[in-house]
Amino acid sequence: MAENRFVCLMLAPSVLFLGLLVAYPVCLLVFNSFYEVETITPHIREWVGLKNYADALTSKRIADSGWRTVQYSVFALFFEFVFGFCAALLFAAIADKSQWHRTIFALPLMVPPIVAGLLWRFLLVGQIGILNYGLTGAGLIDDPGDIKWLSDADLVIYSVAFADIWLTTSFVALVSYAGLTNIPKDLIEAARIDGANALNRFWHVTLPLMRPVIAVVLIVRGVDAAKTFDLIWIQTQGGPRNKSEVFSMNIYQRMVRFGDLGEASASAALFLIVMIVLAGIAYWKIWRPSHD
Amino acid sequence: MKKLMSTSLVAFLAAGFTANADSINILVEGGGEMLQKAVAEKFTEETGIEVNFTVVPYQGVFDKLSAEIASGSSSFDIATIDVVWNANFADHVEDLSDLFTDNVKADLPAALLADATVDGRMIGMPTWANAEIVFYRKDLWEDADNQAAFKTEYGYDLAPPATWQQWRDMAKFFTKDGMYGTSVNGLNSEEWMAHVLQAGSPGVIVDDAGNVILDNDAHVEALEFYRAPLCEDQSVPDNALEIGWGEAQNLFYQGQTAMMKFWAHAHKLTPEDSTVAGKVGVAPMLAGSAGIGGIPGPWYNVIPSTAENKEAAAKFVAYAFANNAMGIEAPLGLAAANSAYESYMGQAGYEHFGPLLDTLGGPATKGRPIHKDYQELVDEAVMPAFQAAMECEDNVAELLAEAAEVAADILD
Repeated sequence: MAENRFVCLMLAPSVLFLGLLVAYPVCLLVFNSFYEVETITPHIREWVGLKNYADALTSKRIADSGWRTVQYSVFALFFEFVFGFCAALLFAAIADKSQWHRTIFALPLMVPPIVAGLLWRFLLVGQIGILNYGLTGAGLIDDPGDIKWLSDADLVIYSVAFADIWLTTSFVALVSYAGLTNIPKDLIEAARIDGANALNRFWHVTLPLMRPVIAVVLIVRGVDAAKTFDLIWIQTQGGPRNKSEVFSMNIYQRMVRFGDLGEASASAALFLIVMIVLAGIAYWKIWRPSHD
Repeated sequence: MKKLMSTSLVAFLAAGFTANADSINILVEGGGEMLQKAVAEKFTEETGIEVNFTVVPYQGVFDKLSAEIASGSSSFDIATIDVVWNANFADHVEDLSDLFTDNVKADLPAALLADATVDGRMIGMPTWANAEIVFYRKDLWEDADNQAAFKTEYGYDLAPPATWQQWRDMAKFFTKDGMYGTSVNGLNSEEWMAHVLQAGSPGVIVDDAGNVILDNDAHVEALEFYRAPLCEDQSVPDNALEIGWGEAQNLFYQGQTAMMKFWAHAHKLTPEDSTVAGKVGVAPMLAGSAGIGGIPGPWYNVIPSTAENKEAAAKFVAYAFANNAMGIEAPLGLAAANSAYESYMGQAGYEHFGPLLDTLGGPATKGRPIHKDYQELVDEAVMPAFQAAMECEDNVAELLAEAAEVAADILD
């Protein structure tokens, strides 16, 4: 009993902290989603039931921004994971000699997203962007204006993800590297003695043991990519013609720029539910410590 | 609303007891602090009232002030707000009509006074105002070869562009030798709105009665003109949808464009190491059939109804306007009063003040709609049509007709 009390005592600060900073705002969000209420006058509100949810679920603009969130997240996550995991394998292969490489590789992590967004905006913008000049110099395109990274409606949602990939590939690499260093060397050695080649050792030993780490990376980065806002906003503000508007941006527009607290809360609540479900599926499918 | 008004009244009465405040707090954006710092120091010297600035990024002003108003109490006695938020905050700030004496009114461009008035109340005092004017390369315009070639080709003298046709002609003429005549800003619609007014529209997006006029002839005509250098003349970089204020400025400073329409303050900020340093000339915004017209970009000092030191705040607001010229020495170098700008006219480095005053006082100059849904109208109705027009494929009239329907839905 005394032990239980001690556990409760130890847990109390974090429960209080989470209750105050997570549970309360989430409850308030859900509460607001049932009202027609403006940001600036939260005391003046009218109960509208599920109307805000119905509006959100039938809005083409919201559906489009939801789909673009999926496109953006999958694209960014795929390249972050591939680049990051390959870098981690490289670091692990050269072991202690990778100290400096790892440090330098981690530098983009220190860059604030706003700065990264601005940087990439000026890299990508035609005529004055360095990227297109580089491509022209390399003979890959004829003119710096040939690829309109940030104004081509079909391309823009992928272009704005470059900054995300640049910014967080190092996170994936560092987490993956930490996972790789924890794989017992004797298992790899045993596989080698059994005659497994490098590919087989990677496929049958390294990858299965890395599953929890991969799950963490995919969940953390996936959720993070899905809720990206500042990085895209600074590059395009959702344009052209809303073609780079993702879900979080839609919520921001409605809440901050239009002051529509009720509808924004309903959209945010739907977003929250989707993210919880996705994270749950990822956890259940990939991690599950008892799976094996 | 009743509750709000009574709250305001109680708060206003309470302010009487705190008239002798020893400090006031001002919520302001970074540039705004610089423009008001000198006058704040002088105010403190003369009155003993300390002025503390809370500096936040642009959007932070709106967010923070909204949050303060929503909470029912404010730690700010004054907020310096962008004109586009005037309608949103109108019900939550004090009426400053008493500060608008005849002298003050006579010293302000009519458009700035109109923007300050919401439902008959003067809700804010202009602190500084800007407008887009024409920037051009003096060295190119004064070049004898260019002058002769231009006259031969277009039949009139090469001078700073003053009309729509001249703008197009000169943009085409200077599109040569790896340079473009100008650029088209596809990320912001304000410049097009200025042309809408020049074309004789009674307003932009909605008229004074609140009717949607987004698809009237002037809007259509102005959008066709706005995109002509891009879609017909090829006298601008073809990536208009990537070009915002910053990019337009860079292109001009790098010598890639011969002229641009830009906010007047930039004349003072031309980088010394840029290709165009010392070669930049300025002229008033273009004139259409209704004359010179611009969209003013003023900021206003407002006193939140929830402010604690309203009397001291009002004192500062009046003082800041009376000493409005002091802001001109700040890096942005802007003011609101005609007299403030006029006091610097003729001085080297301030050549842009003449064109700025001509634009702010232009016959077609008018502010953006003072409407609570303005931001939503722009984001949801205007920008999709405006940016679709920049793709040069769709019919402008049809795009604006669709946009007008969206706008009407928002206002319903």
